[in-house]
Amino acid sequence: MPHRIINWIDQRFPLTSFVKHELTGYPTPRNLSYWWNFGFLAGFVLMLQVATGIFLAMHYKADIAMSFDSIQHIMRDVNYGWLLRYLHSTGASAFFFVIFIHMARTLYYGSYRAPRELLWWTGQGLLLLLMGTAFMGYLLPWGQMSFWGATVITNLFRATPFIGDQVVIWLRGDYTVGDATLTRFFALHYLFPFLIIGAVIVHLVALHTVKSSNPSGINLQDKDNIPFHPYFTIKDLYGLGLFLMLYSVFVFFMPDSLIEPANNIPANPMVTPNHIVPEWYFLPFYAILRSVPNMVGGVVAMGVSVLIFAFMPYLDRSRIPGGAHYRPMFRGLFYFFAIDMGVLGYIGYIPPTEQSILIGQVATFIYFTLFLILPFLSKFEERWLMKRGLTPEIEALIASEAKEISEKSKKRSKR
Amino acid sequence: MNKFMMVLASCCLAASALASEVKLDTVKVGIDKPTVGRGVEAMMTDCHSCHSMKYIKYRDLLSLGVDKKKVDEWRGDQPMDAALMAQMPEADAMAAYGSAPPDLSLMAKAREGGANYVYSYLLGYYTTPDGTTHNHIFPATKMPDILGMSNAKEAAERTAIQGKARDIVSYLVWASDPHAQERQSLGYYVMGYLFVLTLMLYFVKNQIWAKLK
Repeated sequence: MPHRIINWIDQRFPLTSFVKHELTGYPTPRNLSYWWNFGFLAGFVLMLQVATGIFLAMHYKADIAMSFDSIQHIMRDVNYGWLLRYLHSTGASAFFFVIFIHMARTLYYGSYRAPRELLWWTGQGLLLLLMGTAFMGYLLPWGQMSFWGATVITNLFRATPFIGDQVVIWLRGDYTVGDATLTRFFALHYLFPFLIIGAVIVHLVALHTVKSSNPSGINLQDKDNIPFHPYFTIKDLYGLGLFLMLYSVFVFFMPDSLIEPANNIPANPMVTPNHIVPEWYFLPFYAILRSVPNMVGGVVAMGVSVLIFAFMPYLDRSRIPGGAHYRPMFRGLFYFFAIDMGVLGYIGYIPPTEQSILIGQVATFIYFTLFLILPFLSKFEERWLMKRGLTPEIEALIASEAKEISEKSKKRSKR
Repeated sequence: MNKFMMVLASCCLAASALASEVKLDTVKVGIDKPTVGRGVEAMMTDCHSCHSMKYIKYRDLLSLGVDKKKVDEWRGDQPMDAALMAQMPEADAMAAYGSAPPDLSLMAKAREGGANYVYSYLLGYYTTPDGTTHNHIFPATKMPDILGMSNAKEAAERTAIQGKARDIVSYLVWASDPHAQERQSLGYYVMGYLFVLTLMLYFVKNQIWAKLK
């Protein structure tokens, strides 16, 4: 009977062939490490945020006179409302945690390189959507930090040439962040996740066209690929178990560690908090913003600091495969960049002093310098490695990649 | 890549180790009903005349084990589901002290340092030689030294006041998150469940991957 039902469907919809193509027959490199689990985890957290968010929206009131109270209503009176709210507020941090590792893996193993540029760029678009969604969601509790964070960030759009003031008013729907801002942020905070889902589908289509990268950095022979299901479904599920344990520690035992104390005070446009900090995942970019003395310059620097990742396929000119794995200089650069991000995050968190501003400026300078020296360093490193003599292992990898590329171009020219 | 995680973890630790500028006393908050119950009484006698707790209802006090007679006395002719609003109208408090007394429902969460902050603040009053009273945690405060710490000379008296402050803070911590205990006890079950599930998934994973040659 089930067989007949599937037959019936298959005549009308490519169910079996879809499952075979994308899951049971989808070739995946067998040498993927656990660093490759984070894409799946990001998808899981997205679903979790959508699910908890829909239920929270049933009890939340997007109105400046009621929103703070409605959060407390959720926390105190709604059955397991506290659980929904803490799952959602912790989920935002979990999302960025997972995405940052996902991006770090891409950078470390050079997964952004040809032919995966479009995959990387759709990911970059997803990051921007995620940042927008998180920023708008943070206004909704209408606490002090919500209000002042939104005020500071929307104010940055004054840097738009010629029409800056009008753009800020247009974004806020008012001269200051107010009821109009709250309702539109709520509407968009509900909309954006669905745009993200759409963009994730595009991201997956791109992935399934070029297939997963792997720690060796080149496309593997067919014999080294294994079907996604069951091997990677079970590996992803095991990783999910580990992730959920870490996540649950935060949700059940320290959920307030991710919420600024000032956000437990209702928004008050008359009182500025002692020091305004964004959520931890925006801190490095916030530090870059503050490091540039000029506002327009700061905004540009912050924008570029996020968008510069898109240029990685062109900044990295080395032909040595395997990302940082086989490339000592690139590896050094990667760790240096990670430490620099940490320093920037710390500088973004503490109240600015003369000394911290200076450290922030140095770290900002290093941030951009690392990207800008990459084209030269990667080429220099390639020559240096070639001169030193590559290990037979890497030679073989490069040779097989070159062969594959020439075969592909032959095929294409025949067509 | 593993080193990267170490860097990330150490950065998180460094950021969380950042404390506020003033050194706070640490208080071990009580979650038992007698302590929180004493906190409710201290609150109703010493704080309630000026401070509201608008997210707490009189009915909530019953669930803390407070005697119903006392609750009836406090609420007067208000219904059981009325919120704990201050006895003094806000305008009068403004006139008397120069600033509106804040609502205390979320006070244990609304300051850097949380419960320790409130505890240190309540005990932070001192008298200067010229006879005026100040608070070294929150110098700009308009609230009088309600527990009398600045006048307490004897050790026994100071200990009693510290105990009372602890009771009040324990009640405020409960009020800021009434489901905290439920959350934690559920958390242990969730962690246990996830641990067993993850362990089983690990074994299944090994079993499936063992098929690969």
